[in-house]
Amino acid sequence: MIKLSTLAIRNIKRNFKRYVMYFFSLSFSVFTAYSFLALLENEQVSNAFIYDDRYRALLLVFGIIIMVFVMFFLISSNNSFIRARKKEISTYSLFGMTNRKIGKLLFIETMIVGLIALALGIGVGIFLSKLTAMILLDISLVSFTGDIRFNIAHKAVYITTLIFLAIFCLMGLSGLRVINKFELIDLFKADKMAESNSEGSIIALILSLLLIGAGYYLAIQEDSFLVVGASIPILVLVISGTYLFFWGGLSKVLHLIKKNKGRHYKAINLISISMFSHRIKSIASTMATIAVLSAVATTAIATGFTLYRSIEKNVYDTVRFDMYFYGGQEEVLDDVYKAFERHKIKILDEYTTQRYKCSPDMEPIIIEGREITFDQENYFRVYSESEYNRLNSVARLNLKPVHIKPGEAMFGYPNMIKGLESKINGKLLKFSNQTLKITAVTQKNILAFGAVYTLVLNDSDFDALYRSGDIVVIDPYGEPLDKVTVFKFENPLKFRDLNVKLVQILEGKTGSYRTAYNHYSESLETFGLVCFIGFFMSVVFILMTASLLYFKQIMAAEEEGHQYKMLRKIGMDMQVEKKVIVKRLFPVFLIPLVVGIIHSIFAMKAADTVIFSYMIPVENSYLTVLSYSGVMYGVYALVYGIFYFITKGQYSRIVK
Amino acid sequence: MQILKAENISKVYGSKKGSKQYMALRNISFEVDEGEFIGVMGPSGSGKTTLLNILGSIDKPTTGRLIVDGRDITGLSKDQLAIHRVKKIGFIFQDYNLLETMTLKENIILPLAIAGYKAQVMESKLHTFAKDLGIMRILDKYPYEVSGGEQQRAAACRALITNPKLILADEPTGNLDSKSGKDLLELLTFINSEYRATILMVTHDVFAASYCQKIMFIRDGEIYNELYAGDDKKQFFDSIIDVMSVLGGEAI
Repeated sequence: MIKLSTLAIRNIKRNFKRYVMYFFSLSFSVFTAYSFLALLENEQVSNAFIYDDRYRALLLVFGIIIMVFVMFFLISSNNSFIRARKKEISTYSLFGMTNRKIGKLLFIETMIVGLIALALGIGVGIFLSKLTAMILLDISLVSFTGDIRFNIAHKAVYITTLIFLAIFCLMGLSGLRVINKFELIDLFKADKMAESNSEGSIIALILSLLLIGAGYYLAIQEDSFLVVGASIPILVLVISGTYLFFWGGLSKVLHLIKKNKGRHYKAINLISISMFSHRIKSIASTMATIAVLSAVATTAIATGFTLYRSIEKNVYDTVRFDMYFYGGQEEVLDDVYKAFERHKIKILDEYTTQRYKCSPDMEPIIIEGREITFDQENYFRVYSESEYNRLNSVARLNLKPVHIKPGEAMFGYPNMIKGLESKINGKLLKFSNQTLKITAVTQKNILAFGAVYTLVLNDSDFDALYRSGDIVVIDPYGEPLDKVTVFKFENPLKFRDLNVKLVQILEGKTGSYRTAYNHYSESLETFGLVCFIGFFMSVVFILMTASLLYFKQIMAAEEEGHQYKMLRKIGMDMQVEKKVIVKRLFPVFLIPLVVGIIHSIFAMKAADTVIFSYMIPVENSYLTVLSYSGVMYGVYALVYGIFYFITKGQYSRIVK
Repeated sequence: MQILKAENISKVYGSKKGSKQYMALRNISFEVDEGEFIGVMGPSGSGKTTLLNILGSIDKPTTGRLIVDGRDITGLSKDQLAIHRVKKIGFIFQDYNLLETMTLKENIILPLAIAGYKAQVMESKLHTFAKDLGIMRILDKYPYEVSGGEQQRAAACRALITNPKLILADEPTGNLDSKSGKDLLELLTFINSEYRATILMVTHDVFAASYCQKIMFIRDGEIYNELYAGDDKKQFFDSIIDVMSVLGGEAI
């Protein structure tokens, strides 16, 4: 009698091709799990993020999500794998092997493949641990220069092994359940009635589109509070709509396509659409899941990437200068110069000026029911044209110099307030003995220095108003306002040591200060980690979902083989066959991808409303967001495409 | 008019180095004229199916020439053969070979679709044949929803729809009960007389063979004998049994 383990090894050898993809994704999930656990253990990483428990929690939560996902993926692919081997398994049963024994045999196979994958995944994880830690630190710290030690994270090895062994056991149990469902008689029946055709339901189709549409409608609302509040309903609507679409709607669409005889009666369409719609029942849930996961993954990477790309811009939108401070000039300036000298960094420009303010009479403005008033408390920071242009030359916003005609004024406001521009243009500013008209409005109020709104006036108007006392440099208590000093210097986002020194000098001695570097490194830490996680998660999602599709199609290929054989007999030539295969497989990959990306486009619109419109200072920030997202969609689609071609190649080989 | 001419057809399997060679067909020559209904009989392993596959250009002969409708098809490429099949030949198989993913209607028009006909043409052709074959009611059903006899009718309809020069039937009654078998044979006879379709049927069922006008017996890859149907069906039936018992076939 053959020993079970010998038989298991022989089976693996014989099923090698089927096992390769499975093995690959299994190894990758082990690698991912290990890498994350190892990162948590890594000294430099925990040092970098130690002051904030949120980061640790983020990594941990992500690790758990991956694990759960990996578990479902493995169990599901294992079960379809067993189903594909139905004939082989029934044969064992026919010759008297008990289900328990068959289960044991399959469990041994799973274990052999699993243990090898476990060893490989952890091995690669250890080998690349330095790299993963470096990537994380590199994208989330401004200037990481430390040397990451190569080390084996014992706890991570231990936990990963334990978790995967547990998953393998679950796989064995769930496999046994599948085997128990087999009826021996199935062996003697052809696979013919395995699946039945469904015409789908028009109600399901319409309802699914309505659900998704409602979700989209909520997601594109302009009001960010509304969008945030509706996020859970949006998710529920879109996800349920997606599943309903794949369960009932898509069959209906195919049914409608079939009704168009002129198109449907072309041989390629006829064959491929029938084959596809015949399969749809068994693959609907997979496709829906993939659509949802693709939406999540693409949204994650698109958000991460957009945030990451916007950080540097956002730094200057917030801080505007490499460095500025008000007050305490006499005390700190010398030390500041010395610090630059010691670090051998050139100051490119520097300017000190008064913080002029004024509060002319102006009618309140009502936007969406909220009243915006301009008074003593909500005063304006005001500049003459030449002063404004001078400050501008020090700032890092690359704005063009402005020219203001006498009697006119330019109004500047922060981009938090939407819809202000149209209402404010043409409004009058009444000073004690002069009235100016607002003729230009800009969101890039680069120089508010503590105020909310800015005004830029013609030089002569400014002088007249200063003389008349409308423009002042004192606070409501009569104390003079601090002067402001702005700096522009070389490589402002590069040198950590200089920044530390500058902060030391300015802290406590000035009224207020800001450096671009501080803002940059804070943003980078948060967004870098988000970006890193989003990226990793997407890769895991792509690999798992795409290889799940691969499995399903390969199993289908084995059942569909005899159909191709028959078609060849009645005269289908190679060209037609190739096209049929493309049309048969392409929608399986394309539809979930497209649905996922469309979901993501709407999700990005919501993200734009909630976050990016405040971060990206352009008129239509959604376009910028879309252009960044587009890059990520492209990358995602590319990886998917590779899987499509692998699947197509393997499918063609099987049906040949 | 001559539809098919086979000249010295041989088929050798296992021609690769080292493996044993097996000769499935040995120098078979014969001719088929338009409107003939020919049966091919012989014991298992005699080469019947090999012959049918070669005549249908699914398989290639090792040596010899095959002329179908005045064209030598032995030298054609795979794709040319595919086009040849869809235009000139109709197949009826023992296990029907309908695609279970398609309705009967879609199955029937499939050869037309492959040949690139327009939808209206397909519809009108389908209508004519389906009506004659009595399957109009079940056209929108899937193969697994109808009986074996109905499936085989649909398969026959698919074989007919391109107006092929030659219909090749491989044990068409093999999977049918005797009633459905008889119906199908009457259908083939009807097709043969009504459309003047040329039919070549491989069978080992004597009853089925008795519907043919002529029977070729094959043994060990060679034509062993030929029988022509006379006016008396019973006598034809008996003489087939006689030949088969000599051949050692599994008749009755």
